[in-house]
Amino acid sequence: MELRNLQQYQDELWLCARCGDCSLADKIVASHRDVYHPCAVKNVLGFEAYASRGRIMIMNDLLDGALEVNQDVVDWLYTCTTCKSCQEACMATAEGIRLPEMVEALRRDVVAAGFDVPRHREIEESIVAEGNPYRELASKRLELFGDRDWPEQAEVVYFVGCTSAYREKEIAQTTVELLDKIGVDYTVLQDERCCGSVLLRLGHTEHFDELTRHNIEAIERTGAKTVVTACAGCYRTWKIDMPREGHKYKFEVLHITEYLDRLVQEGRVAFESPEPIVVTYHDPCHLGRHAEVYEAPRRVLQAVRSLELVEMRTNRRYAHCCGSGGGVKSTYGQLANQVAANRLEEAEETGATTLVTACPFCHRGLTDGAKYAGKEIDIVDLPTFVLPYLVEREKAVGVEGENPLKERFMEYLRAHPKIFDGLKRGAVIDYDIDGDRFHVLVTGKSAIEVQPVRAENPDVELLFSRGAVERLIQNESEDDYAAEFGRLFKEPTDEEWIKFNLRLNIVKLLMKGYRKFAQKAGLI
Amino acid sequence: MRIVTSSKGHPLYEELVSIVGADRVTDSPVILSAYSKDASHLTAERPGIVVLPQSVEEVQAIVRLCASTKTALVTAGGRNGICGACLPRVRDAVMLDMVKMDGLVRLDEDVMTVTVEAGLRWAELIHMLDERGYKLGFRGPYGGSAGTVGGSVSSNSIGYAASKFGPANEGVVSLQVVLANGEVLRTGTGWNPNASLFGRYSAYNDLTGLFLGDYGTLGVKTKVTLKIYPRAEHLAYGDFGFKTLEDATAAFLEIQKRGLTEELNLLADRQSTDTFFPGFLDSHPEIKAMFAAIVQEDDEELARRKMEIVREIALRHGGKDLGNFASQMHWGEMFNLVQPLFNNGFWLNTCHLRPIPSIPTVMKRLWVIFKKYKMPKNGIKWIASCLGSERAYTTGWFTIFSPTREKMDEALKIWNEMLDAIMETGGCPYWSGRLWENRVLARTDPVFLATYRTLKRALDPDNILNPHVFEGV
Repeated sequence: MELRNLQQYQDELWLCARCGDCSLADKIVASHRDVYHPCAVKNVLGFEAYASRGRIMIMNDLLDGALEVNQDVVDWLYTCTTCKSCQEACMATAEGIRLPEMVEALRRDVVAAGFDVPRHREIEESIVAEGNPYRELASKRLELFGDRDWPEQAEVVYFVGCTSAYREKEIAQTTVELLDKIGVDYTVLQDERCCGSVLLRLGHTEHFDELTRHNIEAIERTGAKTVVTACAGCYRTWKIDMPREGHKYKFEVLHITEYLDRLVQEGRVAFESPEPIVVTYHDPCHLGRHAEVYEAPRRVLQAVRSLELVEMRTNRRYAHCCGSGGGVKSTYGQLANQVAANRLEEAEETGATTLVTACPFCHRGLTDGAKYAGKEIDIVDLPTFVLPYLVEREKAVGVEGENPLKERFMEYLRAHPKIFDGLKRGAVIDYDIDGDRFHVLVTGKSAIEVQPVRAENPDVELLFSRGAVERLIQNESEDDYAAEFGRLFKEPTDEEWIKFNLRLNIVKLLMKGYRKFAQKAGLI
Repeated sequence: MRIVTSSKGHPLYEELVSIVGADRVTDSPVILSAYSKDASHLTAERPGIVVLPQSVEEVQAIVRLCASTKTALVTAGGRNGICGACLPRVRDAVMLDMVKMDGLVRLDEDVMTVTVEAGLRWAELIHMLDERGYKLGFRGPYGGSAGTVGGSVSSNSIGYAASKFGPANEGVVSLQVVLANGEVLRTGTGWNPNASLFGRYSAYNDLTGLFLGDYGTLGVKTKVTLKIYPRAEHLAYGDFGFKTLEDATAAFLEIQKRGLTEELNLLADRQSTDTFFPGFLDSHPEIKAMFAAIVQEDDEELARRKMEIVREIALRHGGKDLGNFASQMHWGEMFNLVQPLFNNGFWLNTCHLRPIPSIPTVMKRLWVIFKKYKMPKNGIKWIASCLGSERAYTTGWFTIFSPTREKMDEALKIWNEMLDAIMETGGCPYWSGRLWENRVLARTDPVFLATYRTLKRALDPDNILNPHVFEGV
């Protein structure tokens, strides 16, 4: 059988040296990363074949002819949630070995060869016939909003998504209520269709282009400059998959958490809880690892006064999956439930009373997992969670008053962009002074942006004592700054020190120009 | 929970299911494919069936079943070793995947030992001990994120903190071993059921040592008791460069003899430093070799003073102070050092032990080989790294990277010449497996080998435990 799509990854598959990090690593203490048994599926099913290392061995066997595609291979293939946790844990290549892409490539091959999971065929047929995977009527897509006339033109389109429209209606309803209360000029599409995410994930890709063209044209007709969605799966499809598949659009696509974050930062929105509340946040894989949005939802939650956000053992890029993605929930419901139950245990360990997520599919998966395992923690999607805490705009105060030292440091760096010469465009460094964060984005030669918030996905996190910052910003020249930086790192004192955490593997850091940066800083 | 159905064709399938349940047994060829290799290019037979035991009682029952049917039994840990040791030599073997036996059994603060199940990974054990205020001596192999305690002590593993504490086996106080007849043996002070596991040498000879480095040929290790130490908060780092490998080696030897460092890692030439840490020596064109030194103590002054002494020794041997960035990265990126190297290609290793003074000798031999094959211009890079181990010996971690599948034949030729050169210059592999076995057997004293085989026959008369290991490949 021809494995045309998988074949494209042959060299990368060969390169995997089977170190096992993707399967068994605990990096929490040894190297200060939150990696802990990265594969949520393998953690349930036990055998190595379900983690990336084993999957790669099987794929190599398929390419070498040591194994042939049969129903067992198909069954195994659809157990992967394509959550990308293994790839984030992998340090073997700059990007990490791209197991999710390989899985989807092999799925395309097995579907092309006529292997099938009946449920997947039904999903595809439903999408083609009704524009959603749930075998619901297209005409009922907007019923959840009641009798409402949606404007034909608006600044913003709220892209509802199939799961919110038909299954997790509360998310769509509260998102709409939230946008109404904030006073956003928005509309929803009269003939919105599935974004096609599920088709890509399952390897049934034939109708993806047609759906995408339909949705892009429908949005363009509204004149909207911004598309907002509360569905992490739709968001990933719009942001990552559609451009990758060759589709172009001119409007901006934001996840609801990014949109709310922007409004909070602009001082247009404020939230306040009447009682102290402790919550934890589950990163949806599509929003986090696939689209690299980690901090916006956290900032929105932290903008709720009287709210304490506590993190789970695995969070952000290393967060365990909820178990619903990649077709696993529709194919192996019990497996999805058990993966979700494991994630809920992590949430319970934090002591939080509420688990907030930002994806209808995660919400559904986690809620089903809670029923399956008898968990009692409240599980709420972010728009639903913040809606009751929305307070009048007059009460909005924008971001908290800034730490003066942080302000001075940011100002200093803005005035000395040459510090970052040698770093490639797109390099991101996060700065932490006593837990107060900001980040520098390199936009070109001697050109940087300094943003007052924590970076979504930094290359490196630099941690400074206040004394170190005071000393650094006294330096007039970039060379003196670099020398001081090196000294503070190499010869720290209790009062003056710099530490750092590498967030990317060293190969990728070198590719981004950190070698020159380290040399300039006197570190090497 | 099961997704892929078992073939149920293995002769022991039903009996194994009756021991551990159907969810933890598989003979599906798809699932078995994931157990067909370790972290090396070496291949052997695939297991005929894989079992995930969760208790010593289950292991006992499986061993008894294998003994009664004379079926080969191979025990595997994290399966990221690089010598093919966990790969069966015969068809239809039962493989024990031990990673579900990963609990911390007992932390005995009175006698400073920790007892763990054999499938626990080093990085997790470090995590567990750190939360309780302790550290290990030997900290784990470089693949300690996935490498298990049981796997390491079965294969003479060496790695982090060997400079002070020696290889994995030096930290072992006691073992719980399931023997080939299914009985359970406790070694060290474990001979006395009323005693805690506080000492290795007591009343009898050292039975613990009998099972260390046995590759699972003499028994199945189910628990390992290790020495622990108070967590030491104070670290001091130093990187030192030298104009010649001879100078670097002399300083390295003196530091190692004096037992100053937790970790001491020498990179034997510029190419090695550049492969490991590109750009590190750009500002130091005169430097040919370097080492990174890490001191860890529970007293800040002590740590600082020890690093001062390290520095004094390095400078006395003509060393140059290069700062401490490499050593900080080396230690801070624990268990993450090897993986980025895969960016250079698939690795071929020559891991072994040797006396420190012989480093320049072997490197001269290797440089001739590298030159002959026009490395690294031919695309094949190398790293020659030496990790100090207690008192005065070192690892030779001389590794080459084949950048593509097409280059593999050439890389294998180079690798084989390297293996010969290493043996001829007095190297002794710490692990054997398919990587070294033929070369080791060719040089092993017949009396040594006969003694081992006598022990093997006595403990495993039906030759069910990892059969044919130490017989050649």
